[in-house]
This record gives sequence, C-alpha cells and structure tokens, in this order.
Amino acid sequence: MKFKSAGKNTIRDRVGLGWRRELAVGILSHLDRIDVVEVIADDLFDAPRDERRALRTLAAQTTVVLHGVSLGMASSVPVDAKLLEKTARLCEEVEPEYWSEHLAFVRGGGVEIGHLTAPPRTDATIEGAAANLERARAVVGAAPLVENIATLIDPPGSDYDEIDWINRIIDSSPGDLLLDLHNLHANATNFGYDAAEFLKRLPSERIAAAHLAGGKWVEALGERRLLDDHLHDVPDAVYQLLTELAAIVPNPLTVILERDGAYPPIETLLRQLDCAREALAEGRSRQFERMEKEAA
Amino acid sequence: MSAARLEAFLAKIYVDENSRERFMADPRGEAAKAGLGEREIEALEKIDRAGLILTARSLHQKRRRMTGKRTKKQG
Repeated sequence: MKFKSAGKNTIRDRVGLGWRRELAVGILSHLDRIDVVEVIADDLFDAPRDERRALRTLAAQTTVVLHGVSLGMASSVPVDAKLLEKTARLCEEVEPEYWSEHLAFVRGGGVEIGHLTAPPRTDATIEGAAANLERARAVVGAAPLVENIATLIDPPGSDYDEIDWINRIIDSSPGDLLLDLHNLHANATNFGYDAAEFLKRLPSERIAAAHLAGGKWVEALGERRLLDDHLHDVPDAVYQLLTELAAIVPNPLTVILERDGAYPPIETLLRQLDCAREALAEGRSRQFERMEKEAA
Repeated sequence: MSAARLEAFLAKIYVDENSRERFMADPRGEAAKAGLGEREIEALEKIDRAGLILTARSLHQKRRRMTGKRTKKQG
C-alpha cells in the first residue's frame, strides 16, 4: 500500500481533531484551523461506498490518519486476520499518512469485550504484541503507531509495571508510539505514579503522535478513579503533559483531540486545539533553550 | 496457552455479570474451574475489586452506547 510521506525532519507539530459524524460540518468548515483529521478505521470497514468516497475527498483536502480500535494488538492470541485485511484494504484506498492501533486486548475465548482492555502485563503479551504488530506491518504494508490505553483496573496477573511493559513492546516492535496523554494522566492518577516521570522514561525519539481527551471521576467500594470517557474537555493537567512532551520529543508531533459525545459547539473544540498549540509551543521553546545552553 | 486462558477468563468476568458474581464469591474455585495455573489463580485472588467493578460498569455503558452506533472509541 501507499502512504503519504510525512517528511519527518521537515514538518512541524500539527494539531487536529477526531472525525465524528456529529462534528462533520464543523470540521469541514474549519479546515484552516485543523491540520489533521483522524478517522476511526473500524467505522469504515463496512461503510457504504458513498461514505468511503467522502473520506477520499476529505483526504484530498487535508491530512487524514486512520485509527483502529478493534484489532486487539496486545494479546497472546494472534490478531484477527479478516480485520487486518479490512484495515489493509482501507489504508490502500485512503492512503493515510499513518495508521494506529492500541496496546489492548478486546476479545478472549470467543467473548467480544467490545472495548479496549488492558491485558496482563507479561512476557506473553509483550511477545504477542510484537508478533501481532509484525503481522500488521506485513499485511497492511506499514506498521501502526501503537497507543497506550487507559484502565480502571490494575490488570491481574501482571509481571511488569506499565512503563516497562510499554517500553519492551516498543523496543521489539516496528511501530512508533502514539501517546495518549489523558490515558497516561488517568492511569497515573488511578495507580499512584508520576505521569511526568513516566514520560521521561519513554524513548522520546519513538514518540510520533499524541491524543488529548477528557474524563470524569467514578467510584466503587469507596475508591475513586478517573475514567477516560472522551465526553469532557481536556483538563489542564493534560495540556501540561503536552508541554512536557514537546520539551523532550525531538521529532514533529501530530496531536489529535478526541471527543466522542456531549459535543460542545465546534468553537469550543477549536479553542482546545489552540490551547494544544500553545502547550506545544511552550514545550518546544523549553527544548530549544535547553539545546542552546548545551551548545554554549 | 495459559496466557490465552487468562485473557479469556478476564474477558468473561469483565462482560458477563453472572460469571463475575460467581468469581467474586469464589475467585479460586472459578479460576481453577477455568483451567488456570496456580500463579494466575493467586493473582486473581488478589484482584483489584474496585477496578473490576468499575471496568465492568464502564464496559457495560460503552457497549450500550455502541448498540446501533458507530464512531465511539474511548481508551
């Protein structure tokens, strides 16, 4: 398949929005303020021909990237070959700049979980993820960026903490990292670690993109946890993480705001994109100052 | 093989209320019945119960929202 070249050393950070039908009019009428549009691949697997044609038209007007949600890459079980073929056909058709998937498992023993779930962090899922990502690269023609997920449960049966598990997968896989900063913020909040320190332990040269979103508090058995629901505005803590990220990542970043419901006016979302640009600029400025000091 | 069994077991207790209730009442018994090894059984006995309840609730709500709709992600 063909992928539009990103020209890694020449492009600047870009900020965009996840494509949702409810946001279509707002997105199409503000493409001057949206650098990239991220489309959920699974929505288009069985979509009518008109809808797929509309996506090709969108891709002709702006940069489009595809985001998969149902492959379940981080599993000891091989990824579904039919879904992988569908992903390959869609990438062939749309020619996205890149495609991405999650470090999650979504099915097991014939049970469809229906959403992204954290697998036990073990050698088996590290090896399974590496094998699945290699399968995906072979079938689709390019390795996906891989995304960290949010979890409300500390995955039982784990031998590794999250950072070591992710680093081992990245280390043994062809794709770079799509770092979801709200997922990182939620997990750090829920399981008591420092998100900024987590960032510093990732291989910064392997981080290519970021997601932003919001969430809400939920509670059970007297314990409160932060749920990543994509229904709320991006909190300040996530913008701060974006600044930290931009201060350490050497390559241009593609940053996508995800919103899945409780849609505010498009202007509200565009303002959040502007906040993301400001956060990126602050981080880049810090990185530049540090490099100047080091060079002096 | 044991890793796949553990994933299958987790998938079941995350989405199926009856399986989850049986598990919460007798973690060792249910895990052993599923053919899991001693190491997995011990891990499941120490499961993060609040996390299990919240995960199951969240998945249930997301699956309900997904019914008849596409373009929902979260994660």
